[in-house]
Parts: sequence; structure tokens; C-alpha cells
Amino acid sequence: MRRYAPLLLLLFAPLVPASQQRIDGRLGSYRAQQEVLYFWSGEHVRRLFPGYEGLAADIYWLRTVQYFGGQRLFAQGARFELLLPLIEITTTLDPRLEIAYRYGAIFLSEPPPTGAGRAQDGIALMERGVQRLPRSWRLRQDLGFFHFLYRHDAASASAVLEQAARIPGAPFWLHSLAADILNKGGDRAASRRMWQQIYEQAEEGVLRENARARLRLLDSLDLADAVGGRVAEYERRTGRRPARLEELRAAGLWKGPLTDAAAVPFSYDEGSGKVTIARQSPMWRPE
Amino acid sequence: MKRVLAVAANTFRETVRERALYNLVFFALLMTVSGLVLQQLSIRQDEKILKDVGLAAMDLFGTAIALLIGTGLVSKEIERRSLYPLLAKPITRAEFFLGKFAGLVFTLLVNLAAMTVGLLLTLLLTGRRADPLLFAAVYPMFLGLVLVVAFAMLFSTVGSSSTLAAVFTFGMVIASRFADVVRNIRQVAPGVPQWLVDALYALLPNGANFDFKGRVAYGDSVPLGVLAWVTAYAVSYVAVVLGIGLSAFQSRDFQ
Repeated sequence: MRRYAPLLLLLFAPLVPASQQRIDGRLGSYRAQQEVLYFWSGEHVRRLFPGYEGLAADIYWLRTVQYFGGQRLFAQGARFELLLPLIEITTTLDPRLEIAYRYGAIFLSEPPPTGAGRAQDGIALMERGVQRLPRSWRLRQDLGFFHFLYRHDAASASAVLEQAARIPGAPFWLHSLAADILNKGGDRAASRRMWQQIYEQAEEGVLRENARARLRLLDSLDLADAVGGRVAEYERRTGRRPARLEELRAAGLWKGPLTDAAAVPFSYDEGSGKVTIARQSPMWRPE
Repeated sequence: MKRVLAVAANTFRETVRERALYNLVFFALLMTVSGLVLQQLSIRQDEKILKDVGLAAMDLFGTAIALLIGTGLVSKEIERRSLYPLLAKPITRAEFFLGKFAGLVFTLLVNLAAMTVGLLLTLLLTGRRADPLLFAAVYPMFLGLVLVVAFAMLFSTVGSSSTLAAVFTFGMVIASRFADVVRNIRQVAPGVPQWLVDALYALLPNGANFDFKGRVAYGDSVPLGVLAWVTAYAVSYVAVVLGIGLSAFQSRDFQ
């Protein structure tokens, strides 16, 4: 038997990583969270840890962050189905955990593949946060932003931002932002101001990265619009639309790049003359 | 008084020799330091996580120490029959009982102080302020642990084994954490008579009275008046439980 031991080792040792690779290939290397949520109600979890709710909330918040990051980066066909229950458990255990509302709502609201694409749930979460932490102007400010950015509801956004502006400690510009979006409706400049604020208020990490990406997206949309304007100018001069965007350069109508912020060429529809972000670009977001 | 202090000093020496104590303190400190790893995994909330983990470790392991060592203080003496020669000496049963209690309370105080220093050092080493507000959570926590010791000694005196005493004490600790459930039990079981609810709520210790971890982790202060009432509550409750334990100990026939 002793003679066979090295042979067994040689035979089976390489099989371990090889089989693991196959399993990962089939199921995705990140799958640990899929079956791990044993409790779906925050109240039940709270009853399980009497006196240790704060610690339990921290642990559930860490799980939320790890789950979100893991799904986003490693899971195949990420569906984020545990995201909402995880956030709800966290905020039930510790209703004052402001960060869970702010980040949780972003995780929920951002469209796939960045987030779960459940803006209604994100806004509902933020509304619960606002009820539980009525003195937090940041939370109310974010709720206003969310009404505007995800629900495209300028009136509600303006009203909520106005409420946020009245909370002690809130920055003065919230008043002007509330007035601006009410006057101009859903314009891109207001979106830019909001994402700029989220970017400036967030620390380095997911939220900041997301805001940065959103700002780059707005830059790209502006650029696409500008190119679209040049297409119209070309049509006015020549009586026809260009077959390709490069013709704008040849005509001396455009000197800059014809790509979005991710260096992917813009998509151009000759029939309508519309210039948009290409679907294959990482900058692309559903309308 | 001198004899009480002598028993207390002896109990302190005895308990600090317990291997279980070192294991528990080690794990408590390990858990506190593990907050450093946890904060890396989170988004912001670093300081809150450090405080939450550190205070929970103190509470959890402090309760374990109070329960495991407290239940053995008297019952082990009875089981090993080492109590008989002691009682033959010029020391009253009350002095022995109170000395044992005071000794373990002092052990807990030293352990809690060590764990608090551990948490403060962790905060300092990570570039944060050694928040003096932490004491507003640690002090009532200590009072709660003293109450656990009192219950542990009561059950170990009334019962016949340290295991049973540990089970009863653990049950009491759990029940104390659900005092709010008892108070609102008629919401889910309307048939329960109000007098029974009131009696149970008044009789059971309320663990929430000693729990200020969440407030302190968020940097909220605890008013001195509240701490004074918590102290009064703890002192009264401990006096009652110790009184019952002492009567049982004095009337027990050790033949």
C-alpha cells in the first residue's frame, strides 16, 4: 500500500484543481451567496440577536456589500435577487445605518449590469430611510436626486430637495437646485449637478466610481448631441445626410473624436440622422 | 468585612487561574481586533464597526465568563466537598457567599477593563480617537454582568449541579433580553391577562436597561440621570437576587 501512495498522489492531486476549474466554469466562481440567506425577515434576525443588533447589522451590511460586489464582478447573469432582503434586514437591525440606505438604494436602482435595475425599490428604501432619519439632509437630498434621475419626476424631486434644504446643516445650493429642476424640467444639466454632488460627497469606492461613470456618460451624451448637430448642419449644406460620421471631418464640420468616453465609436443611423452611444459600449445605458 | 475581602481575594486568585477565563478574554480581544479586518470589507462606517464589534465582544464574552465561572463558584465547592472544611472555619455562610460574589465581580471588572483597553488601543492604532463615550456603554454593561453573576450564584446555590445552574442562568440572560417581548405579548396573544404581563415584566430583569452599545457606537451620549437610574435598578435587583441566594445558602443542609 505504501508503494501506491505516491502514485495515488500523482494521479489525483492534479485532478483537484482541474475539477474545481470545471465546476467554476459551469457554475461561475462566485456562487457562495446563492443559498446563504436563511432568514428573509429583519424582525426574525433581530429576535435572534437580542442585544447584538448593531453587530448583526454590521455583519449583514458587510454581506450586502460583498454580495453586490461579488455578483457584479463574478456572477454569471447577475440578478441581485438577495440584494433587497439583505438591505432590508440590515436596516431593520439598525434603522440608523444611513450608509445602508444611501448605498443600498444606488445598488438597487442602477440599471444592469451595474445594479439591480429596481429603481422603485431603491426609492422605496430611501423613503423608509427618510422616515427613520428625518434630520438627515443627505438622505433627503439623495431621495430628491433619485426622483429626478430614476423616476424622471422633476416636481417630486424639487419638493423633496426643498425639504432637504430646510434641514439644519444642509448646503444652500439645494434651494437653487430645487428651483432649477422645477423650472427646466428634466434637463441634463440638472442630472450633471446631481451626479457631481454624489461624486463629491462619496468617498473612494463603488458609489464614487458609479457617479464618475455617470458623469462620463453625460459627457458622451453631450458629445453625441453635438455630433448630431453637425449631422444636421451637413444635411442643411448638402441636402443629404452623411453615410458615415467620418464624412463630417472631410467636410470640415467636426474636428474632435467621434467616440464616447470609453473610446467606442458612436452609433449613427443615417435614416434618422441620430447619433447615439453604441450598444456595445460599456457607457451604454437603456433609455 | 475583613473576612469577606479575604474570600473575595481568594476567589479572584482562583478565577484568574481558570484556563477558560484566558480563552474567553483571548477570543474577546481577537474579536475586537477582527474589527480591523471587517472595516476593510465595508464601505465607510469603519469606526462604528470597530465599536460595535468591540462592545459586542465585551458583552458576549463578559456574559460567558459571568455565567461559566459564576455558576461554578458555589456549586463546585459543594460538589468537591471543599465547602465543608471552609464552613468549619470562623467564617459565616453570608461572608463566604458575599466574598465569592465580590471576588468574581472584581475578576469581571479587571477583564472588562482589559477588553476596554484593547478596544481603545485598536481605535488609537487605526488613527481614531480613544472615545471616552465608550465608558457610557461599558459601565452599564458591567452592571448587567454583575446581575448575571448574582443569578449564577443564586441558581448554583439552589440547584444541585453547576450544569443545571448554568442552564437556568443562561435562560435568565435570554429572558432578560426579551423583556420588550414580554411587555408587548398581548399584541400577539391577547388572551394573556394584563396582570400576568405586568407581573412578568416587573419580575424579569430587563437586559435592555444595560445595553447602550448602539447609542455609543453612533456617538450619542447617555445622560447621567439615566446611568444613575440604571445603577439604582442594578443595585436593587442584585440585592434582591443575592438576598434570595444567601437565604437559600444559609438554610441549605450540607450534610
